[in-house]
Amino acid sequence: MRDRVERLLERLVRASAVERIAVSVAALFASILVGAVLVFVSGGFASCRTGLELAGWTFCYNPVQVYYELFLGAMGHPLQGGWSPMNYSLATTLQQTTLLIFTGLSVAVAFRAGLFNIGTQGQLVVGGLATAVSVVYAAAIVPGGLVGTIVLIPIGVLVGAIFGGLFGAIPGALKAYADANEVITTIMLNFVAVGVTSTLLSWQFQDPNSSNPQTQPVPEYAEIPTIPYVGFGGRMDFSLLAFAFAVALMVGVAWLLARTSFGYELRTSGVQPEAAAYGGVDDKRMVVSSMTLSGALGGIGGAFWVLMVHGRWLENVPELGFDGIAVSILAGNNPLGVGAAAFLFGILQSGSRSIGTATDVPPELVGVLSGLIILFVAMPEFFRMIGSRYVGVERERPARADGGEAGSDDGGDADA
Amino acid sequence: MPRNRRTFLTGAGAAGLAGLAGCVGGFGDDGGDSEARIGMVYATGGLGDNSFNDMAQQGLLDAEDDFDIAFDEREPETEGEFTGAQRDFAESGDYDLVSCIGFAQLDALEENADAYPEQDFIIIDEVLEVDNVRSYIFGEPEGSFQVGHLAGLLTDMEFAAAESETNPDANTVGFVGGVESPLIESFEAGFKAGVEYANEDAEVVTSYVGDFNDTAGGQEAALSMYQDQDADIVFHAAGRTGVGVLQAAQSEGRFAIGVDADQSLTEPDYADVILASMVKQVDTAVYSAVESVVNDEFEGGETERLGLEEEGVRAVYGDTIGDEIPDDVKGALDESRQAIIDGEIDVPQEL
Repeated sequence: MRDRVERLLERLVRASAVERIAVSVAALFASILVGAVLVFVSGGFASCRTGLELAGWTFCYNPVQVYYELFLGAMGHPLQGGWSPMNYSLATTLQQTTLLIFTGLSVAVAFRAGLFNIGTQGQLVVGGLATAVSVVYAAAIVPGGLVGTIVLIPIGVLVGAIFGGLFGAIPGALKAYADANEVITTIMLNFVAVGVTSTLLSWQFQDPNSSNPQTQPVPEYAEIPTIPYVGFGGRMDFSLLAFAFAVALMVGVAWLLARTSFGYELRTSGVQPEAAAYGGVDDKRMVVSSMTLSGALGGIGGAFWVLMVHGRWLENVPELGFDGIAVSILAGNNPLGVGAAAFLFGILQSGSRSIGTATDVPPELVGVLSGLIILFVAMPEFFRMIGSRYVGVERERPARADGGEAGSDDGGDADA
Repeated sequence: MPRNRRTFLTGAGAAGLAGLAGCVGGFGDDGGDSEARIGMVYATGGLGDNSFNDMAQQGLLDAEDDFDIAFDEREPETEGEFTGAQRDFAESGDYDLVSCIGFAQLDALEENADAYPEQDFIIIDEVLEVDNVRSYIFGEPEGSFQVGHLAGLLTDMEFAAAESETNPDANTVGFVGGVESPLIESFEAGFKAGVEYANEDAEVVTSYVGDFNDTAGGQEAALSMYQDQDADIVFHAAGRTGVGVLQAAQSEGRFAIGVDADQSLTEPDYADVILASMVKQVDTAVYSAVESVVNDEFEGGETERLGLEEEGVRAVYGDTIGDEIPDDVKGALDESRQAIIDGEIDVPQEL
């Protein structure tokens, strides 16, 4: 029995990239199968006007339709007539994808450095407010129009990154110089972030024209512009430019981790801090700088949430930072995987809305279906993470002289 | 074993394909052939608050009984989700009416009403003067004046009902608000005026929890009023947060006044502490909007104000203990109601 488990784990750990993708796809289908049964059976307990009559029961929900809406609805029903790729559902999907790439990267970078940054949410909240405030105030002195766009957006994103980074540096410094567990400090700093920003808002930055807790809107020209004709329309709150920036940032982070000496030091600190220190890495500085980088990525997420989605900062920030943790785990903490995982989350979110309008399935049940998919897809990766510890220790294997390369090709070996 | 597995796979595959081909359109589909399709976007407290949102849904369900309509509902959790929720309905183009419940949706609706000029909207508790939006507002200050009048009269008396009693030694009543906003402040303004009208010596202590969905926060706020500030009757305008006020009243053996719905019916566990409720007939507003859509009589760009006279707001005595309220108190309330309608009492509209 024990042998079999070990053999299984070992197979998982040593799986190639292609095998891992195959496992994920198989897991996806398995989750759909389980979810479909669940939906169908729940339909037997719901009441509806018309349903499928079967052996005296009325089944209200059609699992095929539910999954059709979940996946194709998120793209705006590409198989139906009159489809255009620039539709609102796809915009929602990609909008979520864009934002989750930032937060997913934030979590992944910290994970790779051996740090659990649960505080991406707080860093995003702080960065977002800093962005909104700085753009509103800077707009008073910067000319409007195209010049305003070119000047204000980089300012906003930069300020968001700086404040998010500073807020991320705090738990980093606490960890490095006071040996405070970063899991606890980042969780607590999330509450601090919410409290401080909402106090600042009511003290100084509240929009006087609104009864909702929010800042003044940034001028229209300071919102992330959409590409005319080819891009999504302005009222969809999504810009391909932002998406392109997110993808570029993702590639940049992957390159940083895989190809630079900073990235190498960061990864070694994550895998084996003692060895890294022995090899000449200043571990304290490494902790602070990786947390700062992680926080800055979270802050950029906040900046885009403000400048792309709402055009202002709102007090109740959606839980993008916490979703980022799930995205990062799903991606095996691989920066390039974050893009795919974020896209899956985007589809689930937009598809859930589509199910809501097209069927009678209650949103709670849709949440269960999304949860099943995430659980099924993440589990093999999760077992890989656990397995890589056991298999590495218990089996006498020839030492890997080329450890550096193994980390950089698919990034999977250096998880947490 | 392998053969079994193969047979199973083939069978499952065939069944799956047949299913796919058969019914993507779906059974249990909600009626696309209905006379009208309504999209509801609720306020952030969500359904199950036994007050504001549930009242709005009641109007919708009443309309469903009377007309051939279909509806879809959204319960945003934060203000940031309003824009998307409204837009989902408007973008699909399948909805004859999108109902925005609650004042917090104004900003989002301003944007969307402009972006979707063909879509009809209603908004409750706010006014937006655009051609495709019909606004419904209520006379909250007048209704709150009524329950304030009641509280002011009772706090001075020795009054006991069920397990609870007033505190005749102190002339203090309380008000717990959800979010500090002009609308909720207008409840407070009316309540204070009513208390003062009844009893010039009475004091009103107030607290804003900052959330419509924080039952524990509402309970804390009310407990400190009952325990530390000698309040004996607390009125809340706080959605689900207000359930905490009812809990606190029960544990302290004091009274509470409900809001939006007759909470002695919607929250039967606390019926023994609910003197009355300031009922706001949000259901009437939703019902009449749906009715107008079904009859093709929807008129945007107008504001409908439902006050005491239209019975859009009124004080409804508690189902369990309302009968024990002395008749002269009820008589005084009837008089002040008429006086407000006749314009003899001027109720302040804001703090």
